[in-house]
Amino acid sequence: MRRALRFALFAATAVLNACGSVNTTYTRTTPSATAVPTKTQVNDALTQIFLSAGEVRMFPSKGGPLEAQVDVINNGFSYRGFSYRFDWVDANGSVIPSQVSVWKTSNVPSGGSTTIRAIAPSEAATDFRLQVRRADQ
Amino acid sequence: MRFPAIRSVASLASLSIFVAVGCGSPAKYVETGSPESIVSVGDVDMQDILKASSGMLESLIETGILKTAQAKPAQLVIDKVVNDTSSQFDVGELLYRMREQLVNSGQATVITTFGANAEDKTAQEQLRAQAFRQGNAVDGMPSPDFSLSGKITQVKRQAGNTQQTTYTFRLTLTNIRSGVEAWTKTVDMTKQGTKNSVGF
Repeated sequence: MRRALRFALFAATAVLNACGSVNTTYTRTTPSATAVPTKTQVNDALTQIFLSAGEVRMFPSKGGPLEAQVDVINNGFSYRGFSYRFDWVDANGSVIPSQVSVWKTSNVPSGGSTTIRAIAPSEAATDFRLQVRRADQ
Repeated sequence: MRFPAIRSVASLASLSIFVAVGCGSPAKYVETGSPESIVSVGDVDMQDILKASSGMLESLIETGILKTAQAKPAQLVIDKVVNDTSSQFDVGELLYRMREQLVNSGQATVITTFGANAEDKTAQEQLRAQAFRQGNAVDGMPSPDFSLSGKITQVKRQAGNTQQTTYTFRLTLTNIRSGVEAWTKTVDMTKQGTKNSVGF
């Protein structure tokens, strides 16, 4: 019985590994200096498509306008593709229309993570709005 | 006995044609570049151009290279961007989107009356004549900070029925005063599949 269980566990691991899953190690144990407290909101959007947010960072880029980075983690067992779009808003909360805000695509293997990033179109941008949707597969 | 059978087969065939025609999707508007767009395996799609333009703009803004220009805002001249792919599209689709963002946000201006490939020959002639009349043929002419040039290339591969195409958009900004490359960026787009599809 124990032997059968061990074999089943081994087989399950082998199958999962064969499906292209990735083992990821994180060395950072504390939030980075540029982390912003919007992880929960971003996570709410990402969990709808079976992904989760590791950390959300926002900081001024070398050129001046803000840069946003979101670590997207796939804790599921399947390879996931998704589309995302960053819209930038000014201090009044109005969306800044720009050619920078377009739908982009990304993929995360099982057990892996990826960082999606965007640069604000101008220094008037103070915050962002992130839209995500599952890619058709 | 034979005729009713033929009649029923015929009516079944006409019914299936009717159903097939009725199930076709009617034309509708979709947001340009949205995930509802058509994805072509062996062609550059509109969403690819939008993504490339966005990636280029983000890099230009991120590095702050335009802020280093002598003129404020930076003065650009658009040189040749070559489409070296088998996909037919106008590179202006990429460049005009970038120009719109940079010019309308006050980060750069585009000089259309500079060089042998000037976009607006009439304005260039007018400017030259005006400068000549005023006796400052050199000072009266525009003096851009940067020249933008580039190339779009493709790498196609196939395994069985599956096709894969990588489109690479590359742009370079050259400092006209020093002749040195000031900024360069490549944006890759890889598409894989057996046939074109709707949505991504």
